[in-house]
Amino acid sequence: MAVTEAPAPSVLVDDESTPVRSRAWRRRLEIGVPAGLIVLIFGACFVLPLVAPIPKPIGGDILESGLPAFSPGHILGTDPNGNDILARILYGGRSSLVVALSVNVLGLVVGGGLGALSAHLGGIVDSIIMRVLDVFIAFPSLVLTLAVAQSLGPSQRNTILALAFFSIPAFARISRAATLRLREQPFMVAARLSGTSTWRILVRHLAPNIGPQLMTFAMLGMGIVMVIEGALSFLGLGIPAPAPSWGNMIAMGQLSLSATPMLVVWPSLALFLTVIGFNQLGEALRGRWSGR
Amino acid sequence: MDEQDVSKLASPSATRGDDASDAVTGSGPVPRVLPAVLSSPALRLAGRRLLTAVPIILGVSILTFLVIELIPGSAAQQLLGPEATPEQIQQLEAEMGLDRPPVERYLDWLSAAVQGDLGRSLVSRQPVTDVLGDRLAVSGEIVGLAFLVSLGFAIPLALVAARWPNRLVDRVSMVVSTTGLSLANYVFALLLVLLFAVQLAWFPAIGFVPLSESVSANLHSVTLPAFAIAFPLFCFYTRFLRGDLVEQMQGEDYIMTARAKGLGPWQVLLRHAFRNSAFGLITIVGLNLSALIGATVIIEQIFSLPGIGQLLLQAINTRDFIVVQACVIVFAIITVLASLLTDVLYAVLDPRIRYGSN
Repeated sequence: MAVTEAPAPSVLVDDESTPVRSRAWRRRLEIGVPAGLIVLIFGACFVLPLVAPIPKPIGGDILESGLPAFSPGHILGTDPNGNDILARILYGGRSSLVVALSVNVLGLVVGGGLGALSAHLGGIVDSIIMRVLDVFIAFPSLVLTLAVAQSLGPSQRNTILALAFFSIPAFARISRAATLRLREQPFMVAARLSGTSTWRILVRHLAPNIGPQLMTFAMLGMGIVMVIEGALSFLGLGIPAPAPSWGNMIAMGQLSLSATPMLVVWPSLALFLTVIGFNQLGEALRGRWSGR
Repeated sequence: MDEQDVSKLASPSATRGDDASDAVTGSGPVPRVLPAVLSSPALRLAGRRLLTAVPIILGVSILTFLVIELIPGSAAQQLLGPEATPEQIQQLEAEMGLDRPPVERYLDWLSAAVQGDLGRSLVSRQPVTDVLGDRLAVSGEIVGLAFLVSLGFAIPLALVAARWPNRLVDRVSMVVSTTGLSLANYVFALLLVLLFAVQLAWFPAIGFVPLSESVSANLHSVTLPAFAIAFPLFCFYTRFLRGDLVEQMQGEDYIMTARAKGLGPWQVLLRHAFRNSAFGLITIVGLNLSALIGATVIIEQIFSLPGIGQLLLQAINTRDFIVVQACVIVFAIITVLASLLTDVLYAVLDPRIRYGSN
């Protein structure tokens, strides 16, 4: 996972002539629309299969294979194995979202903590931690994920573990940079001088201040992880078939791209909508925290 | 251009307009920049960065070795297949030298590697450096082309968008780049195949023709993969450069000065704002280079290109530790060199960094 620490340009120009009220509305929409999209996607993947008559994503009837969209009982049709495409997209989304969430939560907690601790302690500890993380950043992420998938076998848990190796250094770098900026702030100096314990400084003083920035990165990270997870599944090293995932659905569809392009289009669309939702939410939050 | 001119190049009020765009595309600045590098603190910076790069690359090689050791099954086992008897496997492992303790094997590999010998592939018995050379040429061509295409389109578009913010070109370019940034590169690659190979049949869907065989066929075979890699980059660069330019044009004092002395809007944009924004762009291009390695693995898989990504994937599957190790080291060196080059280019272009306390 590549980390960009370059300055973030604001995307929209605040037009001075726009009335304040409509600008406030625009901001609300900038956050509300992608947030709503994400809630919808989560709901569709986790709740909809429980309440609606969605067929099973695997073990379809071979007699029902390759049905076109809008067939009775199969809104998006079926794949060559007779499985309902909509069901596969919803269940595949579950595993993608679980992987992306776990990887980012691990990165946020472990990486964020490590970066803050490293910057707070400084000196030799800081140097050692950062050098070790540099090695991981210089190491091509796909190689390690491929190797982990090969050695531990492709599974959801192993995908999470392998990807966490790369989200942790990324979060650590951002959290370290943010902590370094705060180090000499009066409230931090006061906390240190009054003999507050390291743990308490990290949790009570640092975390609330670097939290928003890390959360923003986590939103962008969700998109990144979903794309990488898809890539792994696409190469046959992520979620193992026949269990559905957007990546392995796209890979399967690639085999018959010219005959049935929709097999690729549907999961691609699902992936795209989810990623754009997280990206836009991340951007909107970033604009908000940076006090645009 | 002599050394003085180089330092002038970085100052916001520099008067020559054509240099900054060269610096970004990477075609122009090398010969001009060289004398400055050789006689300036930038050289010391480069030296220091090279020294810190050594432990990183060493760490990467150890990590790779550990990772390969952790994968069950050896190259011998993979070569002989599931039918082989344990004796046969043991014999082949002994021939390959895989029966020795891991630490000894790693140190052997390391002492040969520092002398430039990366060993022979366990599977094909070819020297790795030979294999790597051909593969790197393929991947290098695609990635180089992708950089050219993405920057070639992104820079003019971002300039036009920043010249008239919130007008039609700007809005369209923002919608396109926002969309493109959320599109996984493999999805975009498949869309390209669907449209240009399946529907229109303008380009081949898979395969690679070497440059030595036929130039036009070669370009034909690398167009789709290069565009598949270039599009996300193009979106990223357009968005970044446009945002940075607009920010510079709105708030910076030197822009006001330039306007006050009567420069036209294009001149202010090109000579002053763009020159400053180029710094950020250089950083991002440098960072992208390492992310691109992941992209080559999957794009080469989709288009069946004999590049380094495909080699790596095969080598992991056959447990060819020597080849995996070589690929990863090459990737790590490229990553480290890219970030080093970025820093040095910075120092060369910006006198504040060159003579700073660092």
